[in-house]
Amino acid sequence: MASADNPYLHDGDADDEDDEDLDETGYKTVKDAVIFAIEVSKSMLDPENHRPMSKGDGATLAALKCAYRVMQQRIISHPNDMVGILLFGTEQSKFSSGGDAGSNDLAYPHCYLLTDLDVPEARDVKQLRDLVEDPEEASKLLVPSKEPASMANVLFCVNQTFTTKAPNFSSRRVFLVTDNDNPHPNDKNLRSSAIVRAKDLYDLGVIVDLFPILPGSGYFDQSTFYDDIVYSTNPADPEATAPLSSSSNISGRADGISLLESLMSSINSKITPKRALFSLPFEIGPGLRIGVKGYIPIKRQEPAKSCYVWVGGENEKPQIAFGSTTQMAEDTARVVTKEEIRKAFNFGGEQVLFTPEELAAIRNFGDPVIRIMGFKPLSMLPIWANTRAPYFMYPSETDFIGSTRVFSALQQKLLKDNKMGLAWFIPRRNATPTLAALVPGAEKKGESGEQVVPPGIWIHPLPFADDIRQNPETTVVHAPGDLVALMRKVIGQLQLPKGVYDPLNYPNPALQWFYRILQAIALDEDTPETAEDKTTPKYRQIDKRSGDFTKDWGEQLEEDFQVWQKRQGRGGKRSVDVEDGPPKKRAVKVKGETMEDDEMKTHFERNTISKLTVPVLKEWASGHSIPIHGKKADIVEGVQRYFEKK
Amino acid sequence: MADKEATVFIVDVGRSMGEKSNGREETNLDWCMHYIWEKITTTVLKGRKSDIMLVMGLRTDETNHNVSARISEDPSYSNLTVFQPFSQFLMPTLRDLREKIKPSNTNEGDAIWAVVLAIQMILLQCKKLKYIKKIILVTDGTGELDPDHDLENIAKKLKEEKIQLVIVGVDFDSPEYGFEEKNKSPKKLENEETLKQLAEDSDGAFGTMAEAIAEMVTPEGKITRPISSYKGELTLGDADKYDSAMRIPVERYPRVMIARPATATKFTVRSNVGPGEGSTQSSATVPQEDADGDVEMGDAGGGLAAIKNARTYQIEDKNAAGGKRDVESGDLAKGYSYGRTAVFINESERNITDLETQIGLEIVGFVDASKFDRYMELSRASMIIPSKTNEKGAMAFSSFVHALWESDTYAIARFVAKSTGGRNKPPVLLLVAPSIDSNEFECLVDVELPYAEDIRQYKFPPLDKVVTVSGKNPAQHRFLPNDDLLQSMSDYVDRMDLSTFGENDEGGPGEYAPMGEVYSPVLHRINQVIKWRAVHPNEEIPPVPEILTKYSQPPEDLLAQAKSSLEKAIKAGGVKRVPPKQKGRKRAHDTEKPLSGIDVDALLGSSKRTKISAENAVPEFKQMLATTEDVKTIREATKQMAEIVKNFVRHSLGDRDYGRAVEALNVMRSELTELEEPGLYNEMLRDLKKRMFAGELGGERKEMWWKIRANRLGLIDKKLSLVSDVSEQDAKAFLSAK
Repeated sequence: MASADNPYLHDGDADDEDDEDLDETGYKTVKDAVIFAIEVSKSMLDPENHRPMSKGDGATLAALKCAYRVMQQRIISHPNDMVGILLFGTEQSKFSSGGDAGSNDLAYPHCYLLTDLDVPEARDVKQLRDLVEDPEEASKLLVPSKEPASMANVLFCVNQTFTTKAPNFSSRRVFLVTDNDNPHPNDKNLRSSAIVRAKDLYDLGVIVDLFPILPGSGYFDQSTFYDDIVYSTNPADPEATAPLSSSSNISGRADGISLLESLMSSINSKITPKRALFSLPFEIGPGLRIGVKGYIPIKRQEPAKSCYVWVGGENEKPQIAFGSTTQMAEDTARVVTKEEIRKAFNFGGEQVLFTPEELAAIRNFGDPVIRIMGFKPLSMLPIWANTRAPYFMYPSETDFIGSTRVFSALQQKLLKDNKMGLAWFIPRRNATPTLAALVPGAEKKGESGEQVVPPGIWIHPLPFADDIRQNPETTVVHAPGDLVALMRKVIGQLQLPKGVYDPLNYPNPALQWFYRILQAIALDEDTPETAEDKTTPKYRQIDKRSGDFTKDWGEQLEEDFQVWQKRQGRGGKRSVDVEDGPPKKRAVKVKGETMEDDEMKTHFERNTISKLTVPVLKEWASGHSIPIHGKKADIVEGVQRYFEKK
Repeated sequence: MADKEATVFIVDVGRSMGEKSNGREETNLDWCMHYIWEKITTTVLKGRKSDIMLVMGLRTDETNHNVSARISEDPSYSNLTVFQPFSQFLMPTLRDLREKIKPSNTNEGDAIWAVVLAIQMILLQCKKLKYIKKIILVTDGTGELDPDHDLENIAKKLKEEKIQLVIVGVDFDSPEYGFEEKNKSPKKLENEETLKQLAEDSDGAFGTMAEAIAEMVTPEGKITRPISSYKGELTLGDADKYDSAMRIPVERYPRVMIARPATATKFTVRSNVGPGEGSTQSSATVPQEDADGDVEMGDAGGGLAAIKNARTYQIEDKNAAGGKRDVESGDLAKGYSYGRTAVFINESERNITDLETQIGLEIVGFVDASKFDRYMELSRASMIIPSKTNEKGAMAFSSFVHALWESDTYAIARFVAKSTGGRNKPPVLLLVAPSIDSNEFECLVDVELPYAEDIRQYKFPPLDKVVTVSGKNPAQHRFLPNDDLLQSMSDYVDRMDLSTFGENDEGGPGEYAPMGEVYSPVLHRINQVIKWRAVHPNEEIPPVPEILTKYSQPPEDLLAQAKSSLEKAIKAGGVKRVPPKQKGRKRAHDTEKPLSGIDVDALLGSSKRTKISAENAVPEFKQMLATTEDVKTIREATKQMAEIVKNFVRHSLGDRDYGRAVEALNVMRSELTELEEPGLYNEMLRDLKKRMFAGELGGERKEMWWKIRANRLGLIDKKLSLVSDVSEQDAKAFLSAK
């Protein structure tokens, strides 16, 4: 299915030399499978039960809507991950897994496997949408059974679905949504077997995440039943810190946040399996090594890469075609085995060869590590000193007991004094070493006390001298103080809320559009006309709030510029391109427009002729009897000679 | 693209250059050639056609330069030989040059006449074209110099023509570098004076060879001509609709661009060479053409053939053998996967998934600089400057930069760039910050910001307090630093301060390891060894220059200052390394419990598990092992699992159940490693492999074996478990055998 399964693509031992991005692709292919197990019961279906906040949805429907959104999100963010939806407590039963012909729907009574665990298909999305958007459709399926489903059955159904559909997945989780904190109050046996089945899930490596819905009456008491079902990550240690998931009841709140949104936000916080990119020794000083794990919490989400789809079958549906590459010698087209491949560098028209051992030695700058060189004030990290999205590190006790307290001491000190560490950083074997700034990060909380940004230390790989570009030549005309003051007024009017950029307010318009179109094509629907784009500036507001100030600024600029020109001893008219003030429809510069002689002369004096485009050069050159055939360099030379002769 | 370069090397090969001076073990010429080769190979490595070089021998036995008949006849220019005329140097040039550069049998020949000749050759070659022109003269300064040279005019000409003259001498005195040759002959002393005069008068450079060689290790900064990523307007508001909109013409250039090390390309030994011959060829440079005549450098036994990739496509087909079948490329259409649904897009609608946008750099709003979190910086940085030919725009731009600067504010801007493919690039949001440097250079600096989809909401417990499972909030906890640790760490951080540990330009205390002085180790190491190997094909690779590893360790002097606080921190921290074996090992009988702590085993009753079912194999196997330490039970559990695995494979339709088999093997391997029973696993795996290859498990099961290899489920070797009797090599051999 996924290309990673293709035997031709990679061999047993990975050849991960000089591939900078390899770590991150590997990071992305960590496979995750999630089953939503959603209870269907009278109270879960009753919209009145969760008033005033639920806005007409019962909890089951809200949970299904969540699942629907999550499914769409994951198609975008984790295209290889699986989602399944299991309803329990339904009148109907349905189960099919493993692909056997005679699947037994009655194996798990009152369990209804709405969406089998798999990478979602367009059809799954559609089915789910129909269910959440069409009350009639919902009323057919969402019928509670007379007797409740056995939780043991539910858990084993989940077990079997994972076992058959998602073997070897590194992350398997079930999101359990229910408002019933005591499913088997009077049946000790059912309760016991549920506990045993929960242990099975634990041993299988499946994590049960509970999303308790505040029941109509009172309080969801997790200790009644679910504390026997849910496992902490570190059970052997009663002193261990509580998992952050320590479930608070999910309900709508008085401030109008719907049940759906509240459920969505708690699911969202768990949807990405936390997976470390690296586990490294962090050497704070010689003899002081602790363990840390590294993550990439921020990474640009790109649209899916295009692939080939096989459309050759008359009556068969289109399928993704998987490519495989065979390497062959260019001269004889003979297939080449890995053992025959040599690596060489081009140099002076030939190849310079090294043995594989030499190549490995050349790139080897020691073991992976984060090693502190010393500390600097944060002010020594200019805003441009950035090469990529940062890594995030957090202590780990796995290799070094006591890592957490030492890390904490360092992070607190750096935060207090606004300092950063400077470190030699090799994230994994064979990776290019870099120097990195270790910037402390404080924990940030949202309005309802939930964590928004975790506490830790961010690792910013710094540019080397080789990576820093020189300033391009430019014209500096210092603005006088009064002009600056007017611009400050403009800026003061247009602060974003709270003076911060909150990425959660800005969905990626191109990415969303891409998937809306794909979804429309996949479901054979009409493509939408316009895209929603929250990144477009709010023009009307800008005009309303700062328009007058901008006009003042524009007038002042006219004045100041004339003064400046006079001081420069030039009163003459120069091309004025800055526009503001009354809308004089600006002449749009078009290609091939003739360039003024003195402008070209300026380019000559600054040695920037070669930066002009060919059409501009040709246009100008032909007006000055300079030959315009040949390559760009020839025309540039011609123009240069023209001025040299002058 | 940087400017074209024309360089003339004048190499003194006089008889005296064959001597060994000053206690060195190599001849003066060989010693000097380190420098020359470094300069030449650095240029060759750039691989630019427009970089041309010429190498002239000074004090050669013969006279050979074809500038003009007049010059050829002029005896002043005798004992000068052009070894390589102006051209882009390639490997054959280097090989040829290596043969030609040998100490001569004469000391006749005038270094300054050589410079004069070089000037004429440069002018002849470069005419009036724009070149960076350079003459590098390397000499031991013992040759005869004509006393009647018109040094003043030569210097004037050099300056006029913007030719840089660099003179590097063997054991020349250099007070700056701190070198003085003892017992220097009066003639050499006089020659040094003369040459120094010439270099200084022409604004050139003059130095001693030891310094030049020492400086070679410092990488040369590469000048890259900036290429703009945007030329257009910076706007505030919609100029089409509102008369209050601001528009400033700007250009955007990279501020940071990662310089990647040279990458090796894949080749294969040409097929007309026997495999044995090819593979022994270890270190060599190989000419590209077979016809390349007399190859002296390197062992060019067979030559290399480039490798090309051939792609074939397959689709899943349940009816085909192996579950896959090949498809024709003609039946393929461009498309995407939407989940597991294949969506193809007709050629006519190719751009349907692209959002339609307008090119521009538009301000969305402003934020407080002090509240900006650095971790939001998602990309390398670019810089924005005012359009070069618009002075009014520059003034407007300046007011914007200063207004941001004074109000400690950053702008957020929406940026759409033109893509090379004709379509626009997708919009990105930029953080736009003012930058004003000490030279009054003003610009805006930008980095990309994340969108909502780019944020992964990972949660981690707080670091400054602990909330336990039982809801307690203790002041002391093993995860929290005590006062001693906080204090010693604080002292350590303060003492390891780098902000004044380095040196600034004036020699006062300055920042240590500023970004402009730290070079990419891999980039320059690879360049170093390529250049080395090109010239010394049969020698060992030289060691890494110190400058490249200087910043891999904290500076020792600073550490010495911080020693006592570090020792205190180590003591207060009490960090203990977990012995590798214990890692993650759960003790038997210490099984996991749910949050409530209920004993699940007790619920199962006293009857211990003795049977493992196929459908719930993994949990039941773990549970069976968890309740025993009896080897017999472990053996029994392994046996049952082995049967289950064999059945998975045997009954698998295609590869359907391979995943479950792999999972079961994976669990067995880790559990048995932890229980120190590697033998049981190894025995089972050998049996499984034998049966699979004998076709006993439902026919051909090669792909299952591939999966075992890919998941690294081979024998448990000594490295993994001390009690294993399988060596690493044997385990590897077992796994790779097909």
